Amino acid sequence: MKNIKKALFLAFIGAGLMAPVQAEEVHMIMCGGEIREADQVVIAAFEAKYSGVTVNAEALPWGTCQDKSMTLAAAGDPAGLAYMGSRTLKQLARSGLIVPVTIPEDQQEMYQPGILNTVSDGGKTWGFPHAFSTKALFINCGLVEEAGLACVAPKTWTGMYNMAKAINDNTSAAGVGITGKDFDNTMHQFLNYLYSNGGTVNDAATGEITFNSPETIETLEFYGKLATVAQEGPLGYERSQLVQLYNDGQIGMYIDGPWGAGSHNANISEIVVPIPAGPSGSSGTLLITDSIAVFKGSANEDLAMELASMLSSGEAQYDLDMSWGLTPIMQYEKMMDDVYYDTDYWQTFVAPIGSGGPEPMFEDFKALQAGINGAIQGMILGDGSAADLVAEAAEILAEGN
Amino acid sequence: MSSLLKMFKPKTKAQTTTLFAWALIAPAALVMFWIVVWPLYETFRLSFTNANLGTLMSGSDYIGWENYEKVLGGRKFPAIVGRTFYWMFLSVGFKMILGLIGAALLASNIRARGVIRALVMPPWIVPIAIGCFGWLWMYNGHFGLLSNFAEMAGITDGPFSFLAYKQSAFYSAVVTDVWIGTPMVTLFFLAAMQGVPKDLYEAAYVDGASRWYRFRRITLPQIMPTIVSMALLSAIWTFNSFEIIWILTEGGPRGATTTLIIDTFKTAIFSYKFGAGATRAVLVVLILGVFSVIYLTVLGRLSKKYSYSGAQK
Repeated sequence: MKNIKKALFLAFIGAGLMAPVQAEEVHMIMCGGEIREADQVVIAAFEAKYSGVTVNAEALPWGTCQDKSMTLAAAGDPAGLAYMGSRTLKQLARSGLIVPVTIPEDQQEMYQPGILNTVSDGGKTWGFPHAFSTKALFINCGLVEEAGLACVAPKTWTGMYNMAKAINDNTSAAGVGITGKDFDNTMHQFLNYLYSNGGTVNDAATGEITFNSPETIETLEFYGKLATVAQEGPLGYERSQLVQLYNDGQIGMYIDGPWGAGSHNANISEIVVPIPAGPSGSSGTLLITDSIAVFKGSANEDLAMELASMLSSGEAQYDLDMSWGLTPIMQYEKMMDDVYYDTDYWQTFVAPIGSGGPEPMFEDFKALQAGINGAIQGMILGDGSAADLVAEAAEILAEGN
Repeated sequence: MSSLLKMFKPKTKAQTTTLFAWALIAPAALVMFWIVVWPLYETFRLSFTNANLGTLMSGSDYIGWENYEKVLGGRKFPAIVGRTFYWMFLSVGFKMILGLIGAALLASNIRARGVIRALVMPPWIVPIAIGCFGWLWMYNGHFGLLSNFAEMAGITDGPFSFLAYKQSAFYSAVVTDVWIGTPMVTLFFLAAMQGVPKDLYEAAYVDGASRWYRFRRITLPQIMPTIVSMALLSAIWTFNSFEIIWILTEGGPRGATTTLIIDTFKTAIFSYKFGAGATRAVLVVLILGVFSVIYLTVLGRLSKKYSYSGAQK
């Protein structure tokens, strides 16, 4: 008995002595299913700088990641920081779950035009932009030529539809791959067309919903027209599944980001061209950013902020953009002479940045997706006229704004 | 203190027995209170508030019947309720019929009966999520087995994505639900059939009753209590079935497979509208409660009538 008491006493003393040197942990959630090598390097540097601090980096697939980050925060057990779609920031900020961040002025000046708008609300910046993409149209030249056409970039929607129809009619492949699954990139695909037709979702300054417009109706009608020359059952597909169809030679063209070429089979002869212009606009693209948000009330908020800043600054950010094959989030040409995007391929993605439209920020970001995807699905399924579907979507958007 | 103890001290043997019984029940009752009564109360309370992600820090406000008015006055709610009942009746109906046929076959004296009985089990044994992902792959238009078979058999003239159209998505979800739910029904019916006294069949056989007549007049009446119980349980489980629909379609396309439970999840968890979601949950409880009472009453009467007439013949 005496020995047991002695052992317990020593254990208490030991625990007391250990407590001050116990390692601090920063919980980081990374959406996308992996921690990129460029980020791992920064994490290692951070851990070396703050000895005794460990980073618990948790990579989760996009489908569940944002929900997990938000649910943890809502349950009062937030992660320190999370890399998520910037569209979530407004809802998180207005719910008081994340803290505003400060980006040094010289770094702010380096960002591409419009980038900071995707992380700002109410005059504050709510996340460090960490990934950026623009989109372009990938065309399988083998199929175009098999259909009896020359493989040249279609400049307008009419040209694109005619090319897709020719592939659809004269080869075993579908003319175009389009998405219709209830997924964020279905909305993204549509917004690429909308911004190429002069349409908008809301007024950035006032927040007023501007979705219900002739340009949107025209765009939705075109999407419905594309469905007639697209792969069977577009509602079963999101963008990553289109890549499989494209690699299998089952679709003639589809819209993807700059990483697209790297995911395509080497034997496909292809061209990458700007998204064709609609009748009411000029070629445009959707500007999407993902960013790192710092949650309020986590165990090590200051350390989380420091890590977020390190991950998204200067050279670390350049390494990530280059190795991942992302559209450059900053104007790196101001920092260095040789940049990875100084090629014709990259210019297709870099040139439209100035004329691109943002992924809108909504207080209920899921309403944004539900509204737009609902209209797209309704159009493909023939549930109503484009005008009615757009009006219905605008109502949902207004509720979630 | 001692006078208080004296006051509660049992005076008779019956009181001692009652007190002892309560003491035994108390731990379980406390657990039940903690995991059933309290969450139920919280759900009711939340349903009268505007709780959402934004009110977590500031606290939610009492808003009276507003959530209920919105849900019940909404365009979509009646369609969702109708779809939920259609989904339930269709799915439970098939499970009962297939379960009955399966049990009758498994109860018969056939070769390799044990092996066949074991083969019925996998859909029930395999975790639901894994089974659903298997079906998800089979329903795919370009890479799926079913589309390929349909094309090879000349039923379709090209790939067909079963989950990309409203009707086919709905019926595909029903098929998957029936596939998962039938084995359990079959086994329960089989167990009940094996409990039917053999002498009833022997007497009927001696009297010249046909196989079908014996099934109709002996087997069915004898296993009717099991059928009623299974039908009700299956109805409640199917009504609340979540993972099958969520994995296959997430309630789409365009709401074609959105049942009440999917709508509740989408509102409360997916969109972080906890108050509005709780309202839907309360409505599910009420609808299921009313349905269960009606269902049990009707089936109880039918069961009595059927058993009586069966016994008379």
